[in-house]
Amino acid sequence: MNLLRPSGLLLATCLLTGCTQWHYDLGRPLSRADIPDAEQNLSLHQVLTDLGPPQRMSATSNGYVLAWEHWQVKEQTLGLSLGAMGAELFSLDWGDLQTKGEFLVVTFDKQHQLLSSTLSQWANDGGGGKAIQPFLSMVSVVDAGDLVGKMSQHRWGWAFMKPLPRALNKDSSSDTGQNGIEQRGTPTAIGQQSLEMN
Amino acid sequence: MQSPAHILVAVFCAITLQACVQYESKRGVDVTWQSSVTQQLVKGESTRKDVLALLGPPSQVISLEGETVLYYLFERARGSGLILILYNRMKINTRYDRAIFFFDENDVLTEYSTRIYEPAKT
Repeated sequence: MNLLRPSGLLLATCLLTGCTQWHYDLGRPLSRADIPDAEQNLSLHQVLTDLGPPQRMSATSNGYVLAWEHWQVKEQTLGLSLGAMGAELFSLDWGDLQTKGEFLVVTFDKQHQLLSSTLSQWANDGGGGKAIQPFLSMVSVVDAGDLVGKMSQHRWGWAFMKPLPRALNKDSSSDTGQNGIEQRGTPTAIGQQSLEMN
Repeated sequence: MQSPAHILVAVFCAITLQACVQYESKRGVDVTWQSSVTQQLVKGESTRKDVLALLGPPSQVISLEGETVLYYLFERARGSGLILILYNRMKINTRYDRAIFFFDENDVLTEYSTRIYEPAKT
């Protein structure tokens, strides 16, 4: 009988997977002061001196578009499962995703003169979910993978190895930097990715 | 008699079911664009061949009619975490070391910019 309560405590501890928080901070913060003024007739040189190389860049029909970004992603999950005991038989999960960030887009003409600039700032609910999974815990209730992935520049060479017709249409991919840029987390059905022949 | 056993189990769990985590991820090309290297480049004189000889292959090449851009990127993510019995926390910071070089139709350097992340000293 004396061992009953400690055993119960041990069991309860093993049952509780607990609360998990992931905090991602991508890039350096931007501010309103970073926005180059299009009316000042600034050159590419002045903008690059102030802001450094952009994180995203693409050629456009009349010049270049450059973008700087900063993202903060907070993922929280709360779960109860038997996983700690080696048996994925039952789990209760709750998850929540919050995003916050800035995206500065600046366009230049072919003579490297500033045409326009805009900064967007946001703090959004990125979604979440709840799940009761009686037999196998197969579904993750929060997915931040598309928001915290590696930069597209790392995949640039790979875009040339895609099967046809995607390779023929590679300029429409956000990885190649030829026809446009897009932010993290843009759904595949809209924006630049929608022009790819997936 | 219950109390010592109770405490013993709690201490045992607290010791065995917690951990400290450190995480680091590096992707991209080697950072070779320190100012001591790029000061060898002269706008209007240096060529794309000079840049490639100094820095090696870029992460990305972008072209617009006669102009060419070489883009170099090194991505570094560092994180630390605490795994406790009921509460786990991970914090990951990602920074981008990058360099960009613009060339005209004659492959002559017209513009460049570099940035290397310096972690704050604690």
